[in-house]
Amino acid sequence: MSDDRRVRDAQMRATINQKLVETGERERLKELLRTRLIECGWRDQLKAHCKEVVRQKGLEHVTVDDLVSEITPKGRALVPDTVKKELLQRIRTFLSQQSNI
Amino acid sequence: MTHQGCKHLREFKSTDGTGSYRILVSYFVACSSTEARKRKAKSCICHSCRVISARLHSCLSCVYFGCYGGNDHIKQHATTKRHNFAVDLSHGAVFCFLCKDYIYDAEFDEILAMSRKASKQSIGLDKTCQPWEPSCIEKELMQLHPKRRKVTEYSTIGLRGLINLGNTCFMNCIVQALTHTPLLRDFFLADKHNCLMLNESQRCLVCEMSRLFQEFYSGVRTPHTPYRLLHLVWTHARHLAGYEQQDAHEFLIAALDVLHRHCKGNNGLSKSNPHHCNCIIDQIFTGGLQSDVTCQKCNNVSTTIDPFWDISLDLGPPPNSLLLNPALYGAFEQPTSLMSCLKRFTRPEHLGSSAKIKCSKCHSYQESTKQLTMKKLPVVACFHLKRFEHSTGYHKKISTYVEFPEELDMTAFMSSSRSNNNGYSNQVVHLTANGLTSQHKYSLYAVVNHRGTADTGHYTCFIRQHKNQWFKCEDHLITKVDLKDVLRSEGYLLFYHKQILEYE
Repeated sequence: MSDDRRVRDAQMRATINQKLVETGERERLKELLRTRLIECGWRDQLKAHCKEVVRQKGLEHVTVDDLVSEITPKGRALVPDTVKKELLQRIRTFLSQQSNI
Repeated sequence: MTHQGCKHLREFKSTDGTGSYRILVSYFVACSSTEARKRKAKSCICHSCRVISARLHSCLSCVYFGCYGGNDHIKQHATTKRHNFAVDLSHGAVFCFLCKDYIYDAEFDEILAMSRKASKQSIGLDKTCQPWEPSCIEKELMQLHPKRRKVTEYSTIGLRGLINLGNTCFMNCIVQALTHTPLLRDFFLADKHNCLMLNESQRCLVCEMSRLFQEFYSGVRTPHTPYRLLHLVWTHARHLAGYEQQDAHEFLIAALDVLHRHCKGNNGLSKSNPHHCNCIIDQIFTGGLQSDVTCQKCNNVSTTIDPFWDISLDLGPPPNSLLLNPALYGAFEQPTSLMSCLKRFTRPEHLGSSAKIKCSKCHSYQESTKQLTMKKLPVVACFHLKRFEHSTGYHKKISTYVEFPEELDMTAFMSSSRSNNNGYSNQVVHLTANGLTSQHKYSLYAVVNHRGTADTGHYTCFIRQHKNQWFKCEDHLITKVDLKDVLRSEGYLLFYHKQILEYE
């Protein structure tokens, strides 16, 4: 039963993702997110944090993978709730306009 | 790290060229056609585990998509096939498996930038937020002036008292409100004003504002004496000259008017085309007020849109003529909050039999109803509560408490929310109310207060500094206050700043 549900959820996720990409809405959402994160200072905060990590490890010894693993938890935690809410609202509105999902 | 890639990539480019990168980018990273988007939507999964992953990479040498991190199928592919380069399909960055890191190549970067631009245009995202990058001139300037001032939560930079030059508190409080208007501050501190008052920049009020911002943000803590500003106001707005007590609202409007005129220089451009102005004052303060007059006979609506700088709101009881009509009285109760003032302002109003208007459709003089709504919201919404009544023979001040919020949503007062069957479908209203919740939201940033009577009194001002710190400015004195002190004050002029600005 739960396996069945997991399969259906995965299919649903794939369908939604496909719709978002096809219509260009995914790009629009990404642009909106990028804008909001710049506006609220998230980008600057993360940039400063990256610089700190690079300084600690030394420029020659740091790879993108190192940075990604160090920054990701912090980056996720710093996204303001209002931004998450706005995006969720946009995704909801988009899905409600799609008749064939 | 340089922008020249690595020696492995240089070798690869000399034998295979940039063609495969170009195709990958235009079809899977930044699509600019419906066909490409459809293809991307269908085929962007890991070829080995058939899963949609956030960091999907494509091989640059053959048709293979693989996930990065976790199962690392792209890495396995690279090792077994000796295909050394992979493209990150969400960002377009190139990974070199020999260097074990992403590499940056100027030629590839250019291809990516071009594709991104085309992609954005194809989905209607031409105007987007660009993070600031210093230009060559700006870099030079910064090197010439190595002293930096870091603004922290606790810095008081930007706060400065103003000496009262003899009943000039009306001017001081408006100056405080203007110097703490975020967008105006950005304009002046970025030195964006180019004076057009040929040989007369001493007489230009915009130049004086520019100097005033320098004074406010110089870090000096002693009060500033705005004698030059006062002198300029006296010469340009004669009705405010002298040491009499003046109305702060009247001063605000006069100041905006003079600033607006001086932005154009003194060659009279503003007179020839007053409606097409994009001076900083108009960009920040001008909104559009829609007036719909509906003929009672044929229901024809004639619409006009007028620009405004501020909104004056009635506080008093209804005029006598309406008191005679008890049916209308309920709707005209004395407002007790900014919201009820705005509701009253935008409510359809019956123009009585004494004010018949000639209808353009049925060509006869008819009674009609008139409704005002917001067609275009200004960046700064300035509300004037009409506390002073000046009728012949008496001056009166209405001191009732009018509640006003820290955060204001103007959606209900927009022309697009107008509730009638006049071309606005319910769906449009529904969408604006639901989908773009924060589009019409404002935050309070300054409040001008008056204490005393209609004839004599004193002005003070509350201003917001940083995000949530409030200060009370009383001429040369500045004290820290709580937001609740601000919201509990009487309120004469209320300044709200839009929370979300569009990019142009």
